[in-house]
Amino acid sequence: MVGIGFRKDFAVNLLQSPSFNPAFIEVAPENWIGVGGYWKKLFNQALEKYPLYTHGLSLSVGSPDELDLDFLQKVKCFLQENNVQLYSEHLSYSKCDNAHLYDLLPIPFTADAVHHVSRRIRQVQDFLERKIAIEIVSYYTPVAPELTEIAFINAVLEEAGCDLLLDVNNVYVNAFNHHYNAKAFIDQLPMDKVAYIHMAGHEQVADDLIIDTHGEAIIDPVYDLFTYTIQRLNRDVPVLLERDFNIPELDELQHEMDRLQAIKTANLKKTAYVIA
Amino acid sequence: MLLHEDTYRHQAALADYCRTGQYNAIPGVREQHVGQYRRLVYNVVDDMLQSAYPLTRHLLSTREWNAMVKEFFSNHPCQSPQVWYMPRELYQYMTQKGHRLLRKYAFLQELLWLEWLEVELFMMEDRPTAYTTIGDLTTDPLVLNPEYALQQFVYPVHLKPAKEITAADKGQYFLALFRKPDSGEVTFMNLSPALVAMLELLQEGPQTMDALVRQCCAAWQLPVTADLLAAAKAFFTQALESRLIIGFKNH
Repeated sequence: MVGIGFRKDFAVNLLQSPSFNPAFIEVAPENWIGVGGYWKKLFNQALEKYPLYTHGLSLSVGSPDELDLDFLQKVKCFLQENNVQLYSEHLSYSKCDNAHLYDLLPIPFTADAVHHVSRRIRQVQDFLERKIAIEIVSYYTPVAPELTEIAFINAVLEEAGCDLLLDVNNVYVNAFNHHYNAKAFIDQLPMDKVAYIHMAGHEQVADDLIIDTHGEAIIDPVYDLFTYTIQRLNRDVPVLLERDFNIPELDELQHEMDRLQAIKTANLKKTAYVIA
Repeated sequence: MLLHEDTYRHQAALADYCRTGQYNAIPGVREQHVGQYRRLVYNVVDDMLQSAYPLTRHLLSTREWNAMVKEFFSNHPCQSPQVWYMPRELYQYMTQKGHRLLRKYAFLQELLWLEWLEVELFMMEDRPTAYTTIGDLTTDPLVLNPEYALQQFVYPVHLKPAKEITAADKGQYFLALFRKPDSGEVTFMNLSPALVAMLELLQEGPQTMDALVRQCCAAWQLPVTADLLAAAKAFFTQALESRLIIGFKNH
């Protein structure tokens, strides 16, 4: 199944369109906790139609600061109240020295950071009484790295005992920005831990830099990487189309979702045939 | 703590750069690209503040606005994990600091508060309350819209474009801001001090219009006249239409 990020920019159209059919929607709990009125009504209408997946922004599992347990309690209530299918967060930090930054900063790839982040992810999972999926973020510079990116990610996944949210576009972006082979990177990921996939567009802002904007259509090389990922994965997991800015007509988003579903269907069928 | 001091220091240095724009070398960082983080972080904050405070943005020059946002984000550790709630912290920062812009624009503190109140009322959680829309304005207990705020201003920040407000406008302005239950739209009604007193009584629980008028008159040692009752009826009729009065007590 293929879902869509539920954005306020197109919430009304999404609910009214007879031809736009995501299998599920995804929101950031931060954007909906404690919200009432107009948006809450739309949100409730959406929940009547679609299962809900969530992707947090502010938990900051990579932060040196203590976890915000008050906030985590609110997240827990939100997940319970809205029958959330899956909660994911980013392998990054967005808070430091008691100040929120509202964007995702790269964690230094170090062994001590692996232990620190893993302990916090376990703490979150214990608190929420559910497994969470952690997303590999796109990054534009490493910070004091001692490990490779893949070694860092795999160590966290192993030590934290969490699932992986595989953002295929982020792998593409990182491979371009940091000069490695995206497919070889995916080959090294523990595919049995992949619980969820994100797909999105990006913007190349310099000869040597791509920014993960979620503001453009998915490009063909990322579709190709997605195909490769599905073949490697060899099983069906939910896939989300992220589009946060520069929102096109819903028909275009539907077309992207259809293409993602077609890739899944074709490649999973092919695999089943080969196995048989 | 499992995190080594060095790792913490590098993380703090990157975070500090994103907040202040002042970069101090961090090992392994590509300096030609690290500026993207400052840009992305700052844009989120600036966009959110512009969205919450459009009137203030319009009032201030670009130089003043940018200086204010940069100063706020550099000096103030934002506490809310919810970015839509963060703009409230700008109001608090400006007020607590007694910011120089509040002296330049004597009405700015009230303008910021008005803009934040509108955001908060629009976004805040529903406050369920029992009422019916069927009733008689003159005899049935009235129910106040629970999603509302009473406010007093010295400057008419809700009535005039900010750039036109002068010292001559100084006075006492009372208003009720409220969220319409059907559309979610936030609107306001101007009030007299007497009407403020009646709404404060209504805040404690449903009462009839007649009881509200009589209590206010008793408190202010005024006779209950036909004119007063007619004025009250005109106000409450309008308040019922606009949904400041959300309905009548459910029997």
